[in-house]
Amino acid sequence: MPPKPETLLQDKAGKQVLLLGNEAIARGVIEAGIGIVTTYPGTPASEIGDTVSKLASKAGIYMEYSVNEKVAVEVAAGAAVCGARALTAMKHVGLNVAADAVMTLAYIGVRGGYVIVTADDPECYSSQNEQDNRLYALLSNLPCLEPSNPQECKDMVRYAVQISEKLELPVLLRTVTRVSHTRGPVIYGSIDKPRLKGMLKRDVQRFVAVPRHARPMHDRLLEKVERAKEISESSPYNRVVRKADNGKIGIISSSAAYNYAVEATELLGLNVSLLKLGMSHPLPEGIITQFLEEHEKIIVVEELEPYLEVQVKALAKDCVPKVEIYGKMRGQYFLRSSEFSTRIVVEGLAKITGLKLPIDFISIEQKYEEVSQTLIRRSPVLCAGCPHRASFYVLKRATNGKALFPTDIGCYALGIAPPLSVGDLLICMGASIGTAGGVSKATEVDTIAIVGDSTFFHAGIPALVNAVYNNHKFTLVVVDNLTTAMTGNQPHPGTGKTGMGTHGKRVVIEEVARGCGVRFVKVINPFEVEEAIRAVKEALRTSGVSVVVFRAPCALLLVREKRRLGERLEPCWITEACNNCMACIKLLGCPALVIKNGNVTINEALCTGCGLCAHVCPYKAIRLPE
Amino acid sequence: MKSFNLLLAGVGGQGILLAAEILGTAAVYEGLNVRVSEVHGAAQRGGAVVSNIRIGKNVLAPTMVEGTADVILGLEPLETLRNVKFASEKTLVLMNSEVITPTGIFLKIREVNLPSLETIIRNIRFFTDRIIVVDALELARKAGNVLTQNIVLIGALAATEELPIKTGTLEGAIKELVPTNYIEVNLRAFNLGYDYVKSMR
Repeated sequence: MPPKPETLLQDKAGKQVLLLGNEAIARGVIEAGIGIVTTYPGTPASEIGDTVSKLASKAGIYMEYSVNEKVAVEVAAGAAVCGARALTAMKHVGLNVAADAVMTLAYIGVRGGYVIVTADDPECYSSQNEQDNRLYALLSNLPCLEPSNPQECKDMVRYAVQISEKLELPVLLRTVTRVSHTRGPVIYGSIDKPRLKGMLKRDVQRFVAVPRHARPMHDRLLEKVERAKEISESSPYNRVVRKADNGKIGIISSSAAYNYAVEATELLGLNVSLLKLGMSHPLPEGIITQFLEEHEKIIVVEELEPYLEVQVKALAKDCVPKVEIYGKMRGQYFLRSSEFSTRIVVEGLAKITGLKLPIDFISIEQKYEEVSQTLIRRSPVLCAGCPHRASFYVLKRATNGKALFPTDIGCYALGIAPPLSVGDLLICMGASIGTAGGVSKATEVDTIAIVGDSTFFHAGIPALVNAVYNNHKFTLVVVDNLTTAMTGNQPHPGTGKTGMGTHGKRVVIEEVARGCGVRFVKVINPFEVEEAIRAVKEALRTSGVSVVVFRAPCALLLVREKRRLGERLEPCWITEACNNCMACIKLLGCPALVIKNGNVTINEALCTGCGLCAHVCPYKAIRLPE
Repeated sequence: MKSFNLLLAGVGGQGILLAAEILGTAAVYEGLNVRVSEVHGAAQRGGAVVSNIRIGKNVLAPTMVEGTADVILGLEPLETLRNVKFASEKTLVLMNSEVITPTGIFLKIREVNLPSLETIIRNIRFFTDRIIVVDALELARKAGNVLTQNIVLIGALAATEELPIKTGTLEGAIKELVPTNYIEVNLRAFNLGYDYVKSMR
C-alpha cells in the first residue's frame, strides 16, 4: 500500500512518517524542488517513479515513464541542461542501458541539479545479475552518495541536488534492495517549489561534445572531481560515528552494510571505531588517512565489489603503509557475492579478531537441517489466469517442444519452470530478439524469440530492425499483457497511458513490427488456443522474420479492476465427468488447480475463470463460468 | 528498551506487506524507531515471502540474526517452518493453521509428501514450545472476507501482549492503511483474532 498522496505532499516540516526507502526518495523529490522525474520501472527502484507518478500533477512536477533508461536520462538531461531540477530512477542494470548517455553527460554537465538513482540488487532478488554500480562512479567521475536508511534516502536527494548545482555535474544516488525496500521513520523537511522551466543559451563548447570540445571537457570534468573531493571531505555524511578508546580497530563501511556492521559490533561486544561513508565518490582522502593513522587494524565492510577496500588500500600504500587492512581481497573474510546480513558481518569480524561467536550458529543450522527435511520449495509461479500460461502452452503444442526459445526479462521468464518449461536463453532486456538471430544462424532448429510488450519497446525494436535487415530466420512472439507486469503494472507506449495519468498516443506493436519491415504479423488472443497454434505454425513456415503478438490482459489487472468495483471474477468448476487424470495440472501447473484428498479441485479464491484448463481437459470435465 | 524482533512469513498474495506496513506504522505512531524489510518483484508471484519488523532505539538493520526473533507470525505453516531458524526457545510462534500447497508438488513425478500440520508443529517444537495455532481462514471467513487472514493474525498477535505497541494503535494503523470500503471487515477480522487468543488464555 503506497502512502496516500496527500500524506507525502504535506508541507509539515518535522512530521514523522513511516516510509519505504523508495517512497522517501519520492518525498525527497518534493522537498528538493525537483521539477522533472523520468524512469523506466525495475525492481528494486520501481516505487520511486510510481510514487512520484501519483503525486506529479498535484505537486507541479512533470513525470514520465520513458521507454528505457537511456531515454529517461536523455529527457531529464535535456531539461537539466536548461536549468530544471531533475531526477531519473532505475535499477542497477538500467544504468548499463543509460551508460552511453551518462558517460558523456558527465563531460557536458548540467545547470539545474540532476540526480540519477541507481538501485542495486545484491542477492539478485529480482535481477539477472548483482553488479556493483559504485564502479560507475569511478568510471564516469560522477559524485556518488550512498544512503543507508529511509531518512538518508530522503535527505540525500536534496544534498545531491545541492552538490549537482555546485559542481554543475549529475550526481549518482546509489541504493541497494535493503535500503530501497526497507521502511523506517522519516522526518519531513521543508518543501521547495519545483523548478521545471529554464532556457538553453547556445554555448557549443560547453554543450556539444564533438572531439574538439570533448578534450577540454574531460579536463574540466577532472577539475570538478577535485572540487568534489573538497565537498566529500567536509560532507556531513562522511564521519566517524564512533571512536574506540584504545585505537586498535577501525571499521569503514557504507550503505546497508553499515547497519549490519554496527549491530555486529554490538553483538560481539567489539570495541571499535566506525567510519561511515555516505559520499563514496570521490572519497574523503583526508578523513580516511587520519582514520588509518589512528588505528592498527582497519576492516572494510561493504557488499559486492571491494570498491572502498581497493581505494583505501591505495591510500594506505601512499600514506599509512603500516596499517593492516582486512576485507574481501585477501583472506576473503567477506565474500564478493550475495548480500550481507548482520550474521555474515558477525562471522567475518569474529574471524578477523579471534572473538567467540555470540550465537551458536552451527547448532542452529544442524537443528534446522533436521527439521527442514520436510520442506518443499515454493518458487514463484505465473499467476492463476495469467495469459502467458496460455501462450507457453500454445508454443509447446505448436512446436512439439522442439524449438529453441530465447526469452527475455519479465514475468514470462517464469515460463522456464515445469510443466511449461519454455525458455532456453536469457541475458538482458530485449536480448531475446538479438540472440534469436544468432541461435537461428548457428542451429537448424526452429527459433522462437519471446519478448514482453514493455520489453519490446525498451530494447527490442533495434534488434527487430537488425533481424529484418540481415534476413534472420526466426519467429518473434510478443507476449503482450498490456502492462509492465513484473514491476507493478506500470504503463508503456503500447498502453497509451502516461506517468502523468493522462492519455498519450498509443504505439501499436503490430504497426511497429510492420514498420520495421516484417511481412508476417499476426495478433491473436492466446486463450483462443487452436487458432493461436495455427498462427505460430504458419509463422514458422514463413521465410525471414515473422511476428505473432499474443494479446490478453494481465490477470492481476483484471482481478484488481473487478475488486475495485466490489465484484469478483467467476471461477471455473469441475463436473462429475472428472476422473482425476490430472492432465490439467500436469500440462498447466496453474496455482488454482490443487489436489485435495486425491481429487482435482479449483481454488475459487485464485481462479479467474480463464478457461485454459477447460480447454485442455480430455474429458471436458471443467466448465467455464456461466 | 531491548529491541523487539518480529518475523512475518507466508506466501505471495497473502498480504504480508500490508501486515508489515500496519505494524511498522503503528510503531511510528507510538514514537518508536522501527525497520521493516520487504521483498518485492519476482518473489511475490506465489513465492515465499518474508518480512522482518524490528523495533527499538538502536535498531539499524532491516533484518534479524538467526535465533533472535521474539515472535514469528506465520501466515502459512510451511513458510513458518522455513523460517524457524530465527527462533530460540524464548520465541513465540503464532501461526495460521491453513497450509497452502506449493503448486510444484503436484507436478513431481516421484511421490513427495506434504508434511501435515502436526508434523510441521512437531518440527517447530525443536526450536520452541511456545506455539499458538489460529484457524485464521475460518475467522477471516467469519469476518466476511477470506483475504483478511493477515489482519486476523495481527489481532491475535495483539492479544498475546508481546508487542511493544498498544492494541488501539494497531487499529488506528489499520484504519489508515486499508482502503476505506474495507475498514469495517478488517476491524472485524482484527477483533476475531484478538478474541480468539484472549479466550484461549
